[in-house]
Amino acid sequence: MPKKIVKGQELSQPARASARVLKRLYVREVPDEHKPAEALKWLDYYRKDRRSLVMAMESCVKCGVCANECHAYLGTKDPNNIPAGRADLMRKVYKRYFTVQGRLFGNLVGAEEITMDTLEKWYSYYYQCTECRRCGHVCPFGIDTCEVTMAGREILWGIGMVPDLQGAASAAVYERGNQGNMTKQALIETHDFLSDEIEEERGLRMEFPVDKPNSDILYVPSSADYLLNPETLKGACQFFEYVGANWTISSHMTEAGNFGLLTEQHSVQRELVERLWRTVAELGIKKIVFGECGHGWRAWKMYTPSLTDYAIAGAGYDYHKRVPIVHVHDEVAAYVKLGKLKLNPRDNRLVPVGQSVTLHDPCNYCRACNLIQNLRVNLYASVPEVREMTPNGEKNFCCGGGSAVLYDDPEMFELRGKFSLKKVAQIKATEADILCAPCSICKAQFYGILHEYHHLDIPINGLIDFVGAALVFKGHRQI
Amino acid sequence: MELFVGKILPYVTVAILLGGITWRIWRWMIGRIVHNITLAPFPSSWGAAVAWILWQIVSFWNIFKFDKPLWVGAWPMHVALVSIFGGHVLGIATLGSQFHLLLPWIVTEAQSEAASNALGTTFGLIFLVALLYLLYRRFAVEKVRVISAPSDYLHLLLLIVIVGVGDYMRLFHAVAVEYLAARDFMLGLILFHPGPMPVIHETGLMNWYFFVHFLAVQIMLIIFPFSKLMHPFGILWNRWIYNRPYPEPPMGMPGVKLKL
Ligand code: HEM
Ligand code: SF4
Ligand code: SF4
Ligand code: SF4
Repeated sequence: MPKKIVKGQELSQPARASARVLKRLYVREVPDEHKPAEALKWLDYYRKDRRSLVMAMESCVKCGVCANECHAYLGTKDPNNIPAGRADLMRKVYKRYFTVQGRLFGNLVGAEEITMDTLEKWYSYYYQCTECRRCGHVCPFGIDTCEVTMAGREILWGIGMVPDLQGAASAAVYERGNQGNMTKQALIETHDFLSDEIEEERGLRMEFPVDKPNSDILYVPSSADYLLNPETLKGACQFFEYVGANWTISSHMTEAGNFGLLTEQHSVQRELVERLWRTVAELGIKKIVFGECGHGWRAWKMYTPSLTDYAIAGAGYDYHKRVPIVHVHDEVAAYVKLGKLKLNPRDNRLVPVGQSVTLHDPCNYCRACNLIQNLRVNLYASVPEVREMTPNGEKNFCCGGGSAVLYDDPEMFELRGKFSLKKVAQIKATEADILCAPCSICKAQFYGILHEYHHLDIPINGLIDFVGAALVFKGHRQI
Repeated sequence: MELFVGKILPYVTVAILLGGITWRIWRWMIGRIVHNITLAPFPSSWGAAVAWILWQIVSFWNIFKFDKPLWVGAWPMHVALVSIFGGHVLGIATLGSQFHLLLPWIVTEAQSEAASNALGTTFGLIFLVALLYLLYRRFAVEKVRVISAPSDYLHLLLLIVIVGVGDYMRLFHAVAVEYLAARDFMLGLILFHPGPMPVIHETGLMNWYFFVHFLAVQIMLIIFPFSKLMHPFGILWNRWIYNRPYPEPPMGMPGVKLKL
């Protein structure tokens, strides 16, 4: 996408979705001359709907604590990438139209009219935020600029300013129930291939059941695993086979991610939630286990209860409590803590003895979902040596690709490289041989950035990959 | 002039302050907390969540952890601010005998007044120095300068005027306002019988230092509800969204052969 020039400043923007993609998303593009007015109406709507947005708009004191804690600002030194500066792109407009001081004093308090330039800036900078919430973690008031980014992207979506990547993935969700646009046939073919691989490695055959009626467990992998992370699929399969689960994967809903959370919570996010509950009803599922995806886990764990706010398929009140939603690493860790999985870290196909692994805490796990300790329980039990990054856990820095800013157009790719500078410095400092990144977007970012941008040639794996490879099967199943 | 600032404006100020705060909080409460978006590590209970919020408030823990140069200015500034606020209320109401009333068997009235004066002067100076430091920081540190609006500097300047004049009255006895004079003036306002503003002892003329101090404070209180000065309330309403417990589902998968 050619660079936009706004008031002499160059803006990098992701390529926009074409009219054809917008149509598949049921999105109507508002003509440019009406965009500012309509965006303002949406802003008015969101400020009345979400307290998190109002509080972010109204409680920042411009202390600057968040600046050096955002990898995007650290990598680019662009003031609009300071979390408070990013929020200010919206706050200026908010002040001008919705506050007393902004109406009376305008510029003096930093208020500004909304124009097409404003929206072009939003489209640039709200897609340079990875929604990693590190700013929320460090702000003395707990102001979470991620909430501003989410609202900004939703407003842009509402007037038809949608990136092609997010747009195409969401259209695929409407059509096939996964962001990779995979057919059932493609799933089954990949499964067969992976079953063959496991048989070669283990000497025993394990199948991946698809749409199996009367299953107890629904496993929801990330669709990206089918294209990029086969070891992650194999790891999960080996875990379920080891414990003897009556499990299945659904072809109607093969997506642990949910881009709707990141760009459009009203329609896209709900589409997958509805697909999930329909699948549960159809297959008689008793518990849902999610695979590795950072933002996805946030969407499913933290948002599904509040999105299950109407009767779906006659499921009834509080359905999400009767059919709990859990993460595969929480389940694995429960076994590991009780010593019920036989894992041999010294006989791990993916980590030769003498090599060490470092763990990248996906932001959405470690700041949004409280999944910090259990990752370590599982990793330490499965590999010979772990080297922690500093800082880690809830203080960890984002990989720079979060919220799927995984754009390939040259200037956006360049930005992804800059966003990852902090992360790469952290990885290098550990001197580990292998990188464990238990999130599909983190993996995709690292595949592209570590190898092609930083020329750091280091293998990248998920975490369940290591668990699966370290499991000790006795000739046959361990039970 | 004196009539307006000393006898009419104070009532307007209080009305705007209280009405404004109520109005602003009412606006915050319109939006829902739609989803549970608590930040990890999740508090284990509401008690733990509230304890964490209070800890953040008294220690400025996040500023301490992530920006020590700011903490060095901001925390003493706020401690001085709160102390001075308390000192104004208690010292003026009790004519400086607040410590005597608190610990009558240890502190005499004279000692209490001396302590009140000493603390007032100390915190007054800390306040001023810290504010000047914060103003300097806003100019000098790039990451803060680039996100500052003119109003961010003006807030600090307004406070510097208030404290500067206040400290001046404390340090130069010729223009000082005694506790008694201040109390009579405030009492007059509270009882809706506003009296004249304190005068300069020697000359018996109007104390313009006090006038400026009193006016600047009122300006601050008027803009309080319509500016970032609302942040002591903002922190409560904002952290209420982000620091809350989350009930985790139980572990263990139905129908497995290897049970937990
Ligand atoms: C509750 C916890 C509080 C926190 C974490 C907090 C934090 C901050 C921070 C970070 C600043 C910015 C300093 C700067 O300008 O560089 C600030 C300024 C200020 N705070 Fe607080 N504050 C708190 C409570 C209060 C309270 C209770 C008051 C009293 C009413 C107050 C009054 C002020 C004033 C007057 C300023 C300076 C004005 C300005 O820069 O706009 N704060 N505070
Ligand atoms: S840390 Fe919080 S209050 Fe300070 S500038 Fe950033 S968002 Fe604003
Ligand atoms: S969410 Fe992350 S990327 Fe976005 S502003 Fe905050 S720290 Fe920066
Ligand atoms: S991609 Fe990974 S590291 Fe980055 S925001 Fe998502 S979870 Fe964070």
